[in-house]
Amino acid sequence: MTAETKDVAVTPAAAPADTGANKRLVGVGIALAVMALMVYVMARGFGTDPHSVPFLLSGKAAPPFTMKRLDTGQNVSLEQFKGRPIVMHYWATWCGPCKYEIPVLDAVARQYGDKVVFIGVVFEDTEPNAQRFVRELNWSFLQLFDPKSTIAVDYGVSGVPETYFIDKRGIIVTKSISPFESPRELSAMITSTILKD
Amino acid sequence: MLSFVLSLALAQGYAPPREGTTPLDTEREARVQRLGKQLRCAVCQGVSIADSPASMARAQLDKVRELVEQNKSDDEIYDFFVERYGEWALMEPRKSGVTLGLWVFPLLLLAGGVWVIVAGTRKKPAAPSGPATDAANAAAAEDPFLAQVRADLDK
Repeated sequence: MTAETKDVAVTPAAAPADTGANKRLVGVGIALAVMALMVYVMARGFGTDPHSVPFLLSGKAAPPFTMKRLDTGQNVSLEQFKGRPIVMHYWATWCGPCKYEIPVLDAVARQYGDKVVFIGVVFEDTEPNAQRFVRELNWSFLQLFDPKSTIAVDYGVSGVPETYFIDKRGIIVTKSISPFESPRELSAMITSTILKD
Repeated sequence: MLSFVLSLALAQGYAPPREGTTPLDTEREARVQRLGKQLRCAVCQGVSIADSPASMARAQLDKVRELVEQNKSDDEIYDFFVERYGEWALMEPRKSGVTLGLWVFPLLLLAGGVWVIVAGTRKKPAAPSGPATDAANAAAAEDPFLAQVRADLDK
């Protein structure tokens, strides 16, 4: 056998082995990519609260509304508060945590006076219930009634109490889905969101 | 946890019952119900707004009714809820955009699995040592490399 023949024998014999190794490499690569994707998806899933409802209206214009005042029965619309920051609070008379939050909201509403508009919206409730409640507690700020919860759906409300922070341009900056436990906490939220500018 | 408890409070009907909205005509109401089956109740656990007895779900269904009355398309109605609650609002993820992967990926995995099984079963066991088979000879005859080796050996 000549040297030339040897060269010919070695080179083609290596090709099938290389192809097999490449195939295995591609297979392992695909398996690793799939595993990485699954780990990423699971990590994202486990990192979120399964009970929380996403909220995507932040940074968008607050939906317009016209609702009835609980004290006078007059209609009030969002348009009336153009150019002023708003704290919009959704609550109901049957909601326990809402009752504990009332003094907090009331104190902060008094503190800010005309600088910030405070609006309470009663939904998932009856009008007589809400009227009686408002009379008894003597709220310091405007209370409106959403009889069929349509405004609540427009705002993406998913529980009570929920508080929306709308800046003076009419943009929803954020919302809070848990009750504020102290005036300081609510005040800090207002300062860091709708009074930031 | 707190929001979950509060959500349950809404879902389990502690809210006083309220007056329902009058259904639309048969055809449009059927559409309302069909769309309602595809939208998740915001205060329930995995129930559509058409199936949930929660007051808030009825409010959401009323909103669907209102949008149907305004002649909004199915996509516009889905978008309304997705804008407020995210893709979470849809009982089934959309078959487009990023969520298309949720539909396609399992099929790709299945196809990959089938391919692996088929490729594994097709692979022949290593040829036993001894005389070559007729098939192997035929293959060797077609292989120019082996033909060259044979030619060299015959020299």
